[in-house]
Amino acid sequence: MAGSDEGGKMLDFADSRQVSLPISRVKLIMKSSPDVNNINQDALFLTAKATELFVQYLAAYSYKKGSGRESKCLTYHDLARSPEECDTFQFLADILPKKILARDYFKLLEEKEKEDEGDGEETDDSD
Amino acid sequence: MEPSPGGGRRYYYRMLSSALGLVPSQPFSVQPNGRFEKMDGDNSTTDASQLGIAGDYISGSHYVLQSQEDDGDDGMNDNEDGIGSKDGFREQDIYLPIANVARIMKNAIPPTGKIAKDAKECVQECVSEFISFITSEASERCHQEKRKTINGEDILFAMSTLGFDSYVEPLKLYLQKFREAMKGEKGIVTSVTVADGLGDELTDESFTNQLPAGLITADGQQQNVMVYTTSYQQISGVQQIQFS
Repeated sequence: MAGSDEGGKMLDFADSRQVSLPISRVKLIMKSSPDVNNINQDALFLTAKATELFVQYLAAYSYKKGSGRESKCLTYHDLARSPEECDTFQFLADILPKKILARDYFKLLEEKEKEDEGDGEETDDSD
Repeated sequence: MEPSPGGGRRYYYRMLSSALGLVPSQPFSVQPNGRFEKMDGDNSTTDASQLGIAGDYISGSHYVLQSQEDDGDDGMNDNEDGIGSKDGFREQDIYLPIANVARIMKNAIPPTGKIAKDAKECVQECVSEFISFITSEASERCHQEKRKTINGEDILFAMSTLGFDSYVEPLKLYLQKFREAMKGEKGIVTSVTVADGLGDELTDESFTNQLPAGLITADGQQQNVMVYTTSYQQISGVQQIQFS
């Protein structure tokens, strides 16, 4: 990255004043994307700041949707509902799977197997 | 499903795969710590002993890409513990520190609200996903324009493309403030002020103070030596210290 001195200064600055997330870690995550070469200082800062806003948004949104329950506690469940209720969170659908009880899952599997077997028999019939 | 979010590559492959068509996932088990990992083989689901803690929650349904294409080499089918490597691309899952994340979350909900531990961890993962998401998009645009460095414009563009356009204006303001503050810092550091006197009261700002000083050296000759002082107590021939 250009201007390593600047980078160092920016890190100090960012940590202490404007952004409460470690810029270096943000950079690490960004760099783990494929085909990413260099990242501008501005881009780093914007991403870090945007991430902050995102966390606030996700937390506030999920909490609001989940409130009405007595515990007033933001749970995983609240978060897991957000992708289906808000388009912006669609990209999180894969990493926020709904949780089900193991026994319910077994039931689902059994049903699916039965379905598959049923399909198999039908398709095997030839005219 | 791909339980442990990784870096942008995971997202990248997921994007590819979902474009190719989703296939029902392999089942996976829950580890005692609540994280889950893929299970080996096809038919091991009904074996309760392999399912972490029976009766506890495990995640179900949709997702995961068993891509049939070449991209399937990515090793989605491998027995991963979430920190595996797919063809050497995947690195260890990188997250932002949970304390920072939790603090931001706390500020976003009413003071009386609480946050479950797994919710914090989950948002931690979402954050990494978000960063990768934005970065992939920005990187793509960057490449399209044949540039090698992702700049602020790419990020802002990515945000508006991905549905976060409400962030763009506030971010621009923040960036402006940030730039001004950076410039301000630099200004303080490079300004040259002349101190009142020698020594005792050195300010935090760097300064140069030229003092003629007569020295009588050992061989008896008097020399006039210029003494340069700075806040770092350097005495040398350097006239000015540049902070760039």
